[in-house]
Amino acid sequence: MYSLLTVAWGVMQDALHRKVFYALLAFTLILILLVPLLPTAEVGVQLDLAREAALGLASIMAFLMAVILAASILPGEMGRRTIYNALSRPVGRKIYYLGKLLGVLAVLAAALILNYLVILAFLAAKFRVFSPGTAKALFTIFLEGAVLASVSMLASVHFGPLVCVLLTGLFYVVCHVKGDFLYRAMVDVSNPGALRGLAGFLYYVLPNLERLNINETVAHGERVFRVGAAELLLLTGLAVCFAAVFTGIGMYVFERKDL
Amino acid sequence: MGTVLQIEGLRKSYATGRRRPPRPALKGLDLEVRRGSVFGLLGPNGAGKTTTLKVIMGLVRPDAGRVTVLGRQADDLSVRSRIGFLPEQPYFELYMTPRRLLTYYGRLAGMSSERIRERIPYLLNLVGLGDVTDLRLEKFSKGMLQRVGLAQALLNRPELVILDEPSSGLDPLGKIEVKEILDGLRREGVTVLLSSHQLSEVEEVCDRVAIISGGENVASGGLDDLLRSKDEFRVVLAGPLLVEKPLLPPSASWSSDGRTLYVKRESLSRVLRSLIDAGIGVEEVAPRRMTLEEFFLSRVKPAREGEDV
Repeated sequence: MYSLLTVAWGVMQDALHRKVFYALLAFTLILILLVPLLPTAEVGVQLDLAREAALGLASIMAFLMAVILAASILPGEMGRRTIYNALSRPVGRKIYYLGKLLGVLAVLAAALILNYLVILAFLAAKFRVFSPGTAKALFTIFLEGAVLASVSMLASVHFGPLVCVLLTGLFYVVCHVKGDFLYRAMVDVSNPGALRGLAGFLYYVLPNLERLNINETVAHGERVFRVGAAELLLLTGLAVCFAAVFTGIGMYVFERKDL
Repeated sequence: MGTVLQIEGLRKSYATGRRRPPRPALKGLDLEVRRGSVFGLLGPNGAGKTTTLKVIMGLVRPDAGRVTVLGRQADDLSVRSRIGFLPEQPYFELYMTPRRLLTYYGRLAGMSSERIRERIPYLLNLVGLGDVTDLRLEKFSKGMLQRVGLAQALLNRPELVILDEPSSGLDPLGKIEVKEILDGLRREGVTVLLSSHQLSEVEEVCDRVAIISGGENVASGGLDDLLRSKDEFRVVLAGPLLVEKPLLPPSASWSSDGRTLYVKRESLSRVLRSLIDAGIGVEEVAPRRMTLEEFFLSRVKPAREGEDV
């Protein structure tokens, strides 16, 4: 446990010395503050639009941060050979891998908490409203970031950062369209059997990341659909299960890799 | 004297492409390192030295063979807390300072904060970096990074220290300091396994060596035993040669000082008789001691020629 936390702490320290971390964070926070410049609408709608835009920006930041950090840590350490110094200690590879992922998730959580505080302050200053409910959307953004980070890190055991980012981007797109596109491709009898089979396989194997997107619901004040504790628990379970599967595969592959 | 490291029949091949056969790096390597020795692992580039060290450290999985370190299997994590490792050309996160870096590695090694705090100044002074404890590593030269690497390898007071090219990038003064550190480790009874290309360094600090060529151990043993020639003798004359050089067999050769003769075993008695008949006094007759370079070439060249065939 101590080794796990030490490795995770090392990732957080490392992230704080990366320009990409500050660039993404600063870019997002500045854009959130610029949301009032969007085309005006009625006051009530304006608040909803501002919340939706801010959450959308936070999502983009979180996904980029999770994917870029997770994609670059292991290849960077293997390329620079700093991994030898760490793995020559009594630290198992599984612990090392898990510690790196936990570190990425801790950085992501810290960035999202900062986003939350900025969004709260911004909404309070601009609209005189207190919107603690945005935390729910930021939490599911974190869950989706965790799934993406676990995929990106799994890919990074064998591929370089650029390929990992591209693969995870593809994963993100497919997992967001699976409920619609993949489902239709699977059930459409006019499609060739192989295509229907592939679509069906992907439909049942891949997570439906669109399910984790509650930005719109939260932005509109949960007037139509309320996101309760049971729903959040279900979404957490979904994300944890998929992240655990990808992390488990990643640890297995990493443990067998020649460094 | 117990065995600290035992390698038996170690094999490892690396994939070279989908349609190409794997390239063997180790072909049944056997090696034994005894407790308290400073053991040199020698070999030309691509001989398998670094792969051997990586297998010992669990960084590479062998295809076959057995590696026992300090009485346990090499993949047993608990044994790593008793080993120190310096990889070839070590590199670190450059935003760190030596103090932070050693603290991080100390924590990974499971050391207590108190013990880490105690070891850091001692080690940094030992490697000559006592005055730059809190300077970022990005300001360090290659040689200074090598010294940091040496400090991190000794952090947990290891029983076995594995050093891959420890003098790489060091200036002559740094090399002398490394030699002094190795002498200190030897005095403390620490076993050192040292991989190096620098034969003079190995000859100075090691008491046992193994030469690896083509993934196999082609020679190993005590340095004195290995370098003492079994079929050539050194004959030292009692004084400068005042008479004409006697007629000697063609296998005998004079050294540049004119007082020493190198003679093959089969010619030794004839040469001695010729010298005595000519009234030349003999001070010493002893097996010739080769330099490590001569011995290395004598073992590596035939092995390579065998491979070429």
